[in-house]
Amino acid sequence: MKTLNKLLIVTLIFLAFGSCEVQDGKNLNGADTTSISEDVSRGELGDAIAGILSDMRERIETQVDATSVLGREYWRIQSSDPRWTGDLLTGLLDDNTFYTTAPYSARYATVKDINLVLEGLVNSTADFTEAEKAAARGLVNTLKAHELLMVLNAQYQNGIRIEVSDPDNLGSFISYDEALSSLSSILSDASSDLLNAGASFPFPIPSGFEDFNTPSTFDEFNKALAARIAVYQGNYTEALALLSESFLDLGGDLNSGAYFTFSLTGADLSNQLFFAQNSTIANARIAHPTFITDAEAGDTRLNKAPLRDAPLTADGLTGENDVFIYQSNVDPVGIIRNEELILLYAEANHITDPTEAVNAINIIRNAAGLPNYSGGTAPADLVNEILQQRRYSLFAEGGHRWIDVRRFDRLGDLPLDRPGDGTAEQFPIPQNENQ
Amino acid sequence: MKQFLLRNIFLWLFLTLPIFAFSQGMVNGNITDSEDGVPLAAVNVVVKGTTAGTTSDFDGNYEIEVSSFPSTLVFSSLGYETKELEVSGPTTLNVSLAPSATGLDEVIITGLASSVKRSNAANAVATVSAEELAGVTPPQTLDGALQGKFAGALITKSSGAPGGGISVRLRGVTSVNGNAQPLYIVDGVYVNNSSIFAPGLNDVSRAAAGGASVSSNQTQDNPSNRIADLNPDDIENIEILKGASAAAIYGARAAAGVIIITTKKGKAGKTKISFSQAIGSNSVINLRGLRNYTAEIAENGFGAGQGALFTQAQNDGSLVDYEKEIFGENGFISNTNISASGGTEKTQFFAGFTNNEEDGIVKNTGYDKKSIRLNLNHKFWNDKANLSLTTNYINSSSNRGFFNNDNSGTTIGVSLTSTPPWAKLFPDENGNYPDNPYGASNPLQTRDLVTNNEKIERFIIGGTMDVMLYQKERSNLKLILSGGVDYFSLVTTSIFPKELQFMKPSNGGLNGLTAQGTTQNKDANYSAFLVHNYYTGNNINFTTQAGITKQTFSQNTTRNTTSNLIASETNLDQGANVSVSQFRLLQEDAGFFIQEEVNYQDKLIGTIGLRGDKSSNNGDANKLFYYPKASGAANLHNFDFWNLDVLSQFKLRVAYGQAGNFAPNGALFTAYNNSLIDGIVGIVVPNTLGDPDIQPETQKELEFGIDAGLLENRISLEFSYYIKKVDDLILQANNEPSSGFNFRFANAGNLENKGIELGINASVFANRDFSWDTGILFFKNKSKITKLDVDPFDTGGFGTGLGTFRIEEGKSVTQIVGNDGDGNIIVLGDAEPDFQMTFNNNFRYKDFTLSFLWHWKKGGDNINLSNLLFDFGQTSGDYDDFTLDPSGTLSNGDYRIDSFFAGNAAAFVEDAGYLRLREIGLYYSLPQNFLEKAFKGYVSNIRVGLSGNNLINIFDYNSYDPEVSNFGSNGLSSGVEVTPFPSSKRFMFHFSADF
Repeated sequence: MKTLNKLLIVTLIFLAFGSCEVQDGKNLNGADTTSISEDVSRGELGDAIAGILSDMRERIETQVDATSVLGREYWRIQSSDPRWTGDLLTGLLDDNTFYTTAPYSARYATVKDINLVLEGLVNSTADFTEAEKAAARGLVNTLKAHELLMVLNAQYQNGIRIEVSDPDNLGSFISYDEALSSLSSILSDASSDLLNAGASFPFPIPSGFEDFNTPSTFDEFNKALAARIAVYQGNYTEALALLSESFLDLGGDLNSGAYFTFSLTGADLSNQLFFAQNSTIANARIAHPTFITDAEAGDTRLNKAPLRDAPLTADGLTGENDVFIYQSNVDPVGIIRNEELILLYAEANHITDPTEAVNAINIIRNAAGLPNYSGGTAPADLVNEILQQRRYSLFAEGGHRWIDVRRFDRLGDLPLDRPGDGTAEQFPIPQNENQ
Repeated sequence: MKQFLLRNIFLWLFLTLPIFAFSQGMVNGNITDSEDGVPLAAVNVVVKGTTAGTTSDFDGNYEIEVSSFPSTLVFSSLGYETKELEVSGPTTLNVSLAPSATGLDEVIITGLASSVKRSNAANAVATVSAEELAGVTPPQTLDGALQGKFAGALITKSSGAPGGGISVRLRGVTSVNGNAQPLYIVDGVYVNNSSIFAPGLNDVSRAAAGGASVSSNQTQDNPSNRIADLNPDDIENIEILKGASAAAIYGARAAAGVIIITTKKGKAGKTKISFSQAIGSNSVINLRGLRNYTAEIAENGFGAGQGALFTQAQNDGSLVDYEKEIFGENGFISNTNISASGGTEKTQFFAGFTNNEEDGIVKNTGYDKKSIRLNLNHKFWNDKANLSLTTNYINSSSNRGFFNNDNSGTTIGVSLTSTPPWAKLFPDENGNYPDNPYGASNPLQTRDLVTNNEKIERFIIGGTMDVMLYQKERSNLKLILSGGVDYFSLVTTSIFPKELQFMKPSNGGLNGLTAQGTTQNKDANYSAFLVHNYYTGNNINFTTQAGITKQTFSQNTTRNTTSNLIASETNLDQGANVSVSQFRLLQEDAGFFIQEEVNYQDKLIGTIGLRGDKSSNNGDANKLFYYPKASGAANLHNFDFWNLDVLSQFKLRVAYGQAGNFAPNGALFTAYNNSLIDGIVGIVVPNTLGDPDIQPETQKELEFGIDAGLLENRISLEFSYYIKKVDDLILQANNEPSSGFNFRFANAGNLENKGIELGINASVFANRDFSWDTGILFFKNKSKITKLDVDPFDTGGFGTGLGTFRIEEGKSVTQIVGNDGDGNIIVLGDAEPDFQMTFNNNFRYKDFTLSFLWHWKKGGDNINLSNLLFDFGQTSGDYDDFTLDPSGTLSNGDYRIDSFFAGNAAAFVEDAGYLRLREIGLYYSLPQNFLEKAFKGYVSNIRVGLSGNNLINIFDYNSYDPEVSNFGSNGLSSGVEVTPFPSSKRFMFHFSADF
């Protein structure tokens, strides 16, 4: 009996340690990020870059809405989230609420997509030529600068982190001016890469970039972004040089440019900046009344804010006009358009060459059905006119009004609608950054 | 095997030789119930201090071989007092057993393969019998039936939606981001309890696209959890192991406790058929109520011209209370159950069929379930082996409505927040619904046209074979092999037809959406144990058990969503935009355990054991994690020195154990999500950074307790104090978003729960005509994060402006924080209740029985955001009252809105305590002599009665029901409310008969 016991126990132990081999767990639900960063292959490069271009669209509706509301371009009414008419109109912005954190995280997620590709290109054992690698680097670094610029526009004087490739060792926050310079240099390095990148990209480009789908034409997009940054910095000479190498076309279509495209198929995203006209209090974008009242008579850009069948009242605000610049939920959304470049051109010239500035302004005014500019040509007058034109040309497109009044120190000019309302200069640093 | 049997046969031959010289012989007799003389079957008769034993047959006759005289025979049976009688020679010994008031002789399961008498147990193991579970009033789901039945649990329904969705928390929060629901085992089969969300709902509600600050794996779609499938009518009893000190032997899946369910088995004897039918209805517990509208309120709150519309509607009597219109239905409930049980000495069976049908309090919602069960038991090889098979098939369908949070204004709850009573929303005679000008959806249309259905087909099959390998006088060895499989297929269907207001392209809608999710899930477990019993001369019993277990899990879920549909088609290919996602899971766990239990004459009982577990979910799949346990109990009343007669039982016990919690599937990896732009497929980083080195959580629990019985155990007291610590807490901690990831998985903290449980049961009266049993439970738990390696982070809420849970070192795990008016973050409350008490009473007067259960939860806060949404919609019932503002200047609605704008979150954290009459039942059994005369013995038991569930609910909470959870059953954020499906009370009439 005792031997039996011993035999049993031995068998048991043997069984326990011997036959109970467990297979290693695998992740069945997607590619691991190390498959890109440790060695990106030719096919994977296309997937990763398509991912970057797709991710750039994540939460842009929150981003555009929040910055547009702060700039009093329109009110965002949502019955299930009263913070749109609360925090964003009182100017008391919370550091841990979605309007601060969601666009911030989304832009940095795209930056992470980009950094993984850059790391993968360095480690790649695939048969890329130097030109092909330069093409990829040039494209993704241009997009990286764009994404970081979006964050910087929101964070303003808080500064941002630029170097974020190691999650355990994030670069420190650098100031607004330093950040702008840093983005400028990222763009110029990317530009050199693009100009050494051969004749084509080794991966597909979506149709929103169809005017920029070769390295040399993509460089025009790069220069356009760099010109925008130069104007923000006040470097007008450099801005003019950059504009001349961009897709600026004084006689061309105001709507040419780079776009985010959308569709309803599969994992593709729809355009969340589209609401039908006469939306209810559940979800609506209502143009600020001053957009209508401050316009010059006959300005066709008022078509961007058509009259509703009935006014909408919510939380002490009443508006009669919808925001309606997209016709459907698959309409493209502009990243940067010729119309903005013309206005940048006007601003870059307004001190040194006011006549040229007025020419540019008139192109915009005429396109909007307005007569030529007849005001003063002193810098202060031209700034007023340019800000006015930017307000109407770039209405509801990326929060330009807020950025513009802020960089000209005119936040106080923004209208306040109810007692207790206020403006904000920037979004707070998200709480989870632990600053 | 054959060798052992051969030896066995030799032993048997040896024993049966008539060697009277060694003073052995047969003792036989008849066992009856001392009260009514009815013969008792299946009474255990054991020769004390040996392994020799038998059971009485269905006539109450027994016969046992006694190897040496004098000996003591122990007669025991569930529900009766154990009797010990000395025999000095072969004789006929007739015994009568008295029904026992308390369950001390009840047997509970310890170890994986052994059971122990409750009186010897070193843990406070809670049991819920069939009578306690479903005997008073039939519950809608099994986990709901556990509310208030035992100490130490916080059981919260996510919403009133039919079909379940319940979180069971035993002894506080066990895990923040890992699995926090207990392990359920049914007849040895490890059953699946996952919640799988349906596709399509979030595409319409866009709840997860908005401002919730939760980790990526929590959904707001209100899915049910799979324990709801089990049929309470089949259950014989449930044992609850509340913490690691009891559950250690279950290892790495047992950190949140183990709930062991045993279903009914057949008994030898005449075949008995039982039939029962219950019919009733449900209705909403509490409605929020309408605001007292005036033309002025209408004009100011809803815009110019609305005042006139209000007055007109008031004048022609067409004001509609839409809340009542939606939630005011009385749903019809019908439960039918037929079961048959019987068998011979060798083979017994139990078969049952149950049909549950329940309509919800909202039209087009409801829950239907059919369950068939067959349990078989067969003894063979001369009663040395036993085979038991349990099979169960369940088919259920639940329609859950479209509720909870959203960012599109489309769920029924949210669209009600902005809809005033003068809105014209009813359909015309052709069934066309008008658009709701006050919101994005017409709640009546959404209720009537939207389908949100979950269908389950489930098979739970288990088998156990135990074989007595050898049996001697003082020792025996048993081999137990068991296996089980739990297979279910879940099909979720969500249909939003084109006609819906928010689906119309002119309103920016998707032109119809149909979504179907299909999940195939199979969990299987296999185990083998050896149990060895050894008795020494002076009645010390050693029980050794050792075993190995293996579990496999596989799940494959595909979710298809198609929008822009053709006409009223709902097939997935009948539309323009098709999207698909798939999730697969494959997991394997394996483990071993050993346990040694020493019982010194039922006076001192000690146990030590060790479990080792490994899982493919860990970074190193073959690394073993060890979970030890040790416990001791001293039955002081059995000692010779004990002379306090008033204390008929006094037991001191202490138990320690460790259990684990493996990382959630996927925590090891950082896997790309897929993207699509312009037809070009892409990969994008996920929200959460994985950790390839992640370790499982370890729980360590120490429990002390005293069990006492007074007055011959007519009054019993049970007191426990426990300290439960969890190390290596797996947190989906916030990460700096500039890294590209919002969250990261990490073992980053420790937490601790301390609490007490106190239970008093008394059999106050027990006469022929009248008896009264009562029980009181009191329990309390406090939790704390004792260590946090990452920075404090918020989870489970909508940001500090509205109130959120926050994980912070030194603070309660379930603390709720929010901004005060000055932008500081302060503690506003805690979701942990101050304490809970239950008061249970059973009265019997002649043939009537009355039972009721009160449940009092004191304290425990909720984050109530429904009020704010109703305020912004200008429809809050209490908008114009002046009870909130301390200065008395602002009305309630204005005060809450003002608080929100001022960034003051205190107004949204509310006390969610309640006092409920959970169950009440009044039954009448037709007297036996009437039945004899009328039915001549064919019908043995007819019972009729009335019962109710949640009939009385007393709470201050300002919404439908304080028991609510927007984020579903896992995680720690039960208690957040955003316009849920309200809970209901039930009232039923019963008829049952036994044949």
